[in-house]
Amino acid sequence: MSTDTEFHIHHDSAEKVGRRERLGVRLLIVADGSFVFGMMFSWFYLRNLNENNAWLPKGVHTFTTASGYTAAIGLIIAALAHRAGEMNHGLRRVSSIVVFLALLIGAVYQWHQMAHMPFIAHDDNGRPFYNGAYASNWVLVAGANMFHYLLGAFVALGLVIRGYRTKLDPVLEEWRQRTAGSWFTWIAISGILCAIAASFK
Amino acid sequence: MTTLSHAPVSTRPIPNPKRSLITRLNMGTGIIVGAIFCWGTYYAMRAGRDMTDSHNVNKVLLASMLMWSFGFLVGIGALIGPFRWLIGKDLTAEEQLYLAGDGQGVKRYFKYCTDHKVVGIQYLVGVMTMLGVGGTMAMMIRTNLATPGSHLVTPNVYNSLVGLHGITMIIAMIIVATGPFGNYIMPIMIGARDMAFPRLNALSWWVLFTAIPVLCSAWFLGGIPTGWTAYAPLSDQAGPGMNAFLATIIIFAVSTAVAGMNITTTVIAMRAKGMKWNRVPIFVVGATISVALAIPAFPTFMLAMIQTGMDRTIATGFYDANVGGSGWLYANLFWIMGHPEVYVILIPGVAALMEIAPVFVRKPLFSYNAAIAGFAGIAGLSVLVWAHHMYMSGWMPSLNGPFMITTEFISVPTGLLFLVLVGTLWRGRPWMKLPMLSVYAFLWNFLIGGITGVYLSDVPADNYLHGSMFVTAHFHYTLMGAAFTGAMAGLVYWFPKMTGRMLNERAGYIAFWLIQIGFNVLFLGMFMAGAQGQPRRVADYAFVYEHSNMISTAGAYSVGIGMITLLWAVVHSWRNGKIAPMNPWGAKTLEWTVPYPVPLENFDVEPIITSDPYGYGKAAN
Ligand code: HEM
Ligand SMILES: [Cu+2]
Repeated sequence: MSTDTEFHIHHDSAEKVGRRERLGVRLLIVADGSFVFGMMFSWFYLRNLNENNAWLPKGVHTFTTASGYTAAIGLIIAALAHRAGEMNHGLRRVSSIVVFLALLIGAVYQWHQMAHMPFIAHDDNGRPFYNGAYASNWVLVAGANMFHYLLGAFVALGLVIRGYRTKLDPVLEEWRQRTAGSWFTWIAISGILCAIAASFK
Repeated sequence: MTTLSHAPVSTRPIPNPKRSLITRLNMGTGIIVGAIFCWGTYYAMRAGRDMTDSHNVNKVLLASMLMWSFGFLVGIGALIGPFRWLIGKDLTAEEQLYLAGDGQGVKRYFKYCTDHKVVGIQYLVGVMTMLGVGGTMAMMIRTNLATPGSHLVTPNVYNSLVGLHGITMIIAMIIVATGPFGNYIMPIMIGARDMAFPRLNALSWWVLFTAIPVLCSAWFLGGIPTGWTAYAPLSDQAGPGMNAFLATIIIFAVSTAVAGMNITTTVIAMRAKGMKWNRVPIFVVGATISVALAIPAFPTFMLAMIQTGMDRTIATGFYDANVGGSGWLYANLFWIMGHPEVYVILIPGVAALMEIAPVFVRKPLFSYNAAIAGFAGIAGLSVLVWAHHMYMSGWMPSLNGPFMITTEFISVPTGLLFLVLVGTLWRGRPWMKLPMLSVYAFLWNFLIGGITGVYLSDVPADNYLHGSMFVTAHFHYTLMGAAFTGAMAGLVYWFPKMTGRMLNERAGYIAFWLIQIGFNVLFLGMFMAGAQGQPRRVADYAFVYEHSNMISTAGAYSVGIGMITLLWAVVHSWRNGKIAPMNPWGAKTLEWTVPYPVPLENFDVEPIITSDPYGYGKAAN
């Protein structure tokens, strides 16, 4: 055993750590991507199957085609704003606030949408249920968006606050911005995919 | 070879980051906060809800279980790191050192400890606990089935036993090799100082830990009627115990995603200088391919559980045909995960044996490239075969043919794995130690497991065999005969590095033979029963199956006694075993170059790799 009494937690270069973190996040995106793929599968599978003609039972109201896209708009704005901050570092403080606000407002909107689903029916005992596989899938997709909004907002808030700290390693922070960029881009793509699926009634 | 007496764990002063919450939190505070969150949620949500409506019951239970898990993580301090990141005050070096647990002795095993060696031991103990619980259920199942017409347990309890045995064992087997050895040994094997994300490493273990009481709670909530596959719509309609199953899988999926990305990143980004891809030890390659396969596979299982949970709580209808849902959706999502998952289980076990074989025949691994091709081929094909579990479900009969072909194709890369092992043994002079015996046991068991798999993949044959004990016997030959055998070999092989002591050989031999002979008796009996037509998952059976079942139960008792012997050997040797030399097997991989106890950062001097690790019988290696 070594006899030294000094601690030396080993530190890799910020460059290395940053790269590593981005790889880790990208792998998590693969996992999340597989989840989103599963949702798409559910959507189109149940739609094509149309079991008991109950994909959209008669008389059930639907969202408009635009609804899916409006739900995703916060995600898209966030991704674009972050990108702008990447291209012009002078904008970074502003852009990261925009990212955060877009995600926060998007989350509120998504919440509003979920609270006003037009396709909820009531059974004989007056208990609510989601009428039709379209309805079931819609809640799921909205829930996934919501999850992305909240996690994204957490990351964005961190970047805003950290932007004002001076003691942080600039190289590592630079990598973290890029890593966050991977995540913001992905959640925007996922939002768009969900919106496309949701436009198939 | 050097022999070391055990040095005291550390003489360094324990880092003490003052005013930091970190030093006060441990498993105990985790349990307390988790319990508060759980009961708080339970009572708050119950209030004013009509608890005669099953949807409300499910809502309350599911939320309470998930809040337990979350509360535990809060209480053990898992969220301190993310919170400190959020406010831009990252953990200081001193705090990180404290989290690594240096010099904290046994206490660190009960903390949010980031040292990969601690996490490895935590996983090992966790796996052994799960195998113990799952094994006890197995013994009850076999005892009930010993004779026809026995009423040891009621049919409902029998259903729960089968289902909970199944899922407990599946979870245990998923982590059996990558948990303990992937965490403890693998970073050392590649010359790394720790995992890529030490805090996430601790997270993956403690998240998994929270799933254990949740799964156990199923027993107190009336059990589960669905078997480990949790098929819908039965799972939609099942009683409150089903919530425990759902919550377990959701929690477990988080743990695997985190662990999978951590191990994959570590191997890709943290290898020592000079360890090019063709110099990475084969166990590392296998473990990485396995967890990397789990990354895309498990989320679909999680999705299926979330959909079931939504059906049960907020009355969606993913699996309810009345409102346009379908059980086929579930079967697809489940098996898109389920088949890759069986290889997630198999590959690390085989890879451990491939690591071991060259050491004990003192020859290089026969065709490293074929081994990689085998693993990669299996991983690639495994996502294209899922519907062989659904031939008889009526889903797309026109696809049965194509799925039969893809399934049978998997035998090709699987054959490569055999080739590599047999080639390594060929004309070698094996040193017949316990790990080596497992290599032979694996070859025998997996031959049977693999070939019966080919029978099952044949649509006409499966028409008869599906849903019978034959299937149960097949997958036990693969899961237990192959993957568990590999993991047990790994345990014996790496025990000296993980505990500093040799595993008691005599007890080990006795356990090995009791388990292997008992196992073969048990499942050959079950093949007979299945071929005769006995359905699986049924509490009782007709007299014609009497003999085969008796044989199976006899074998099961032998396995049970063997397992207890193994447990005794592990516990006894851990405490009083012979002190292990640094490299008891004369192996060439890096983990044998570090002393026990392994220093906090593994290596005093960063190793530089100049050759592959299997240069046995070559000069100057
Ligand atoms: C050559 C390789 C293999 C082939 C061709 C194969 C084929 C099959 C087929 C066709 C079935 C479905 C039978 C039915 O339900 O009617 C099946 C079931 C199963 N196999 Fe395999 N298998 C192979 C290897 C493995 C391995 C390596 C494992 C695990 C490590 C495994 C685990 C299972 C499990 C768990 C089931 C049953 C699941 C259930 O219904 O509960 N198989 N196998
Ligand atoms: Cu399969």
